[in-house]
Amino acid sequence: MTTEESPAAEDIIICRDVHKWFGSFHALRGITTSVSAGEVVVVIGPSGSGKSTFIRTINRLEHHQRGQIIVDGFEMTDDVRNIDAIRREVGMVFQSFNLFPHLTVMRNITLAPTKVRHTPMADAEDAAMELLERVGIPEQADKYPGELSGGQQQRVAIARALAMQPKIMLFDEPTSALDPEMIKEVLEVMQELAASQMTIVAVTHELGFAREVSDRIVMFDEGQIVEDLPPDDFFNNPRHERVRHFLSQIL
Amino acid sequence: MASASQVAEPVLPPRSEVGVAGWARENLFGSWYSGILTVVSAAAVVLAIWFGLRWTLMSANWDVVGIIGGRFIIGGYNTDQACPGNDCFWRPQAALLMVTALLGMLWVVAAGGVVKRVAIAAAAAAALSAFLPYSMERMGLDVRLLLLANVPALAIGWALARYTPLGTGRWVAVYGVVVFLLTIILLRGSSDISFAAGPLRLHIPMPDLLRPVPTLYWGGLTLNLLLAVAGIAMSLPLGIALALGRRSHLPVVKILCVIFIEVFRGVPLITILFMSQHLVPLAFPENFPRNSLFSAGVMITLFSSAYMAENIRGGLQSLHPGQAEAARALGLAGWQTTLFISLPQAVRNVIPTIVGQFISLFKDTSLVYIIGMVDIVEIGRTFILGNPEYRVSTKEVFIFISIVFWAFTYGMSYVSRQLERTLGVGER
Repeated sequence: MTTEESPAAEDIIICRDVHKWFGSFHALRGITTSVSAGEVVVVIGPSGSGKSTFIRTINRLEHHQRGQIIVDGFEMTDDVRNIDAIRREVGMVFQSFNLFPHLTVMRNITLAPTKVRHTPMADAEDAAMELLERVGIPEQADKYPGELSGGQQQRVAIARALAMQPKIMLFDEPTSALDPEMIKEVLEVMQELAASQMTIVAVTHELGFAREVSDRIVMFDEGQIVEDLPPDDFFNNPRHERVRHFLSQIL
Repeated sequence: MASASQVAEPVLPPRSEVGVAGWARENLFGSWYSGILTVVSAAAVVLAIWFGLRWTLMSANWDVVGIIGGRFIIGGYNTDQACPGNDCFWRPQAALLMVTALLGMLWVVAAGGVVKRVAIAAAAAAALSAFLPYSMERMGLDVRLLLLANVPALAIGWALARYTPLGTGRWVAVYGVVVFLLTIILLRGSSDISFAAGPLRLHIPMPDLLRPVPTLYWGGLTLNLLLAVAGIAMSLPLGIALALGRRSHLPVVKILCVIFIEVFRGVPLITILFMSQHLVPLAFPENFPRNSLFSAGVMITLFSSAYMAENIRGGLQSLHPGQAEAARALGLAGWQTTLFISLPQAVRNVIPTIVGQFISLFKDTSLVYIIGMVDIVEIGRTFILGNPEYRVSTKEVFIFISIVFWAFTYGMSYVSRQLERTLGVGER
């Protein structure tokens, strides 16, 4: 961060009364929350509670039908320029990695910088190599995604998102598709990222990660936010019975 | 290491499971009905080869193939009606030389040894046919030398791509289009060009060697190949455009593409070819010269692109939606997502169907006989009809034609298999 002011002073994501319907199903029912720059927010909740839908509205992979979402000063509307501007600033990591199987690891990472930001290829490749070192797999640069393990693929996906130098990183259940021994290597990368003052919104069931790394834990249930507390309070004295119930089920 | 946790050493499988004996036991005589099937099929194959070879080598009279000879290749192109003086044979041969040079360039540009093998096979086949046992009267020295020139042409193309800046995919593609257009111009020939616009008067006399040959006389394998190459080159991009259009969110574009695809898929190609002579001219100004070869080419292309569109659409639908989402989340625009992410994967997923469509297009080109064009099949058929003394050789004629078609289509599927292998690197 180059600014002198404290990161918490500035809300980089603002949601006001966000509603979303899939057909007649009311998936998000009036979400109001904000995330300040540099904050790490973990979103948890039972499946079908709208948590994935919520973070997908932040870069408009889903569009909301009512309310307001302002990301980095741009309001999310149907204006394509705003959406494209936001998507350049917001990186996303998916549960199923979604690497491009027909491109090498290196090309997966350099594609967006060269095509969207028009970075010269040589510079993009240097940056990609640095990112691969950061996520711990520089030796895999010339392989294809299909030749990597799940944990390695997810780390490439993180490097690919970081290559656009985003201000915000969204994680949509990044470890749910991984074997236990691979979860750790991905969480370590996320932990390092959180320590670097990146703004992070992560949907995850990894409560250990939530407890150690996050600034806030937000719990969704039936399309609403039912709890929004710092991790200590969330685990030790939640205000809602539903949180206790949820924790008792997954702990 | 503790003896309790001793790890079993890997050992080889039992002998009866490996080697020729193991394979035969496993696959040919795995059970009693499998054994019977093996014996019966083996007997059938042996009988077929025995009688097939006996007929081919002893009963069959292949003279007729030699008598039709070069007409299989260029049809009536060099006959008295088409080319008074019979000195037009060099034009298709020059076109072949350009194609061979193109193959030489592709050899350098394309990765993998496929193109190399195809290029060498094509040049060798052309050069070897210079030594066909015809008399010098039927096959002159000039014809033979031009055929032999395919070997240096291949070398020149190879050297051009290897040692000059022309050796990039982009330049070879440009040269490919130039070769196609030059081939058409060369085969078509031209009368003197007169041009008058105000004070500017231009008269370019054409040498007698380039006297026009109406497309009516274009024929033989050359005709099949011309139609197939044009159809293949145009129907792939057209098919992609139609497939994307059919998936478009714009209702007008979508409906137009659906109508186009369903109309062209719903009508037999023969019907479309019959109509081509009347429908295609409607799309052009009235003074545009009517040309049934051109009309047929357009219709074959449109017909094939309707099928191609559905193949490509199948490929697009096989992609995980997460692919496009990931691309959009990275900030790629919609067209970039389509161009760099969706299409390459979609096309690669359906290479076998696309090549199948190309093969079927190539074979369908012989249907142009229906509008009076004389392709390689029609050459054979009309020869038999016109020369009743050769009616006994009908089998030989059509078997020869079948072998020619098979050689080309097998080449296509061979290239496609190698292409799949090359592109499949790292995909599991």
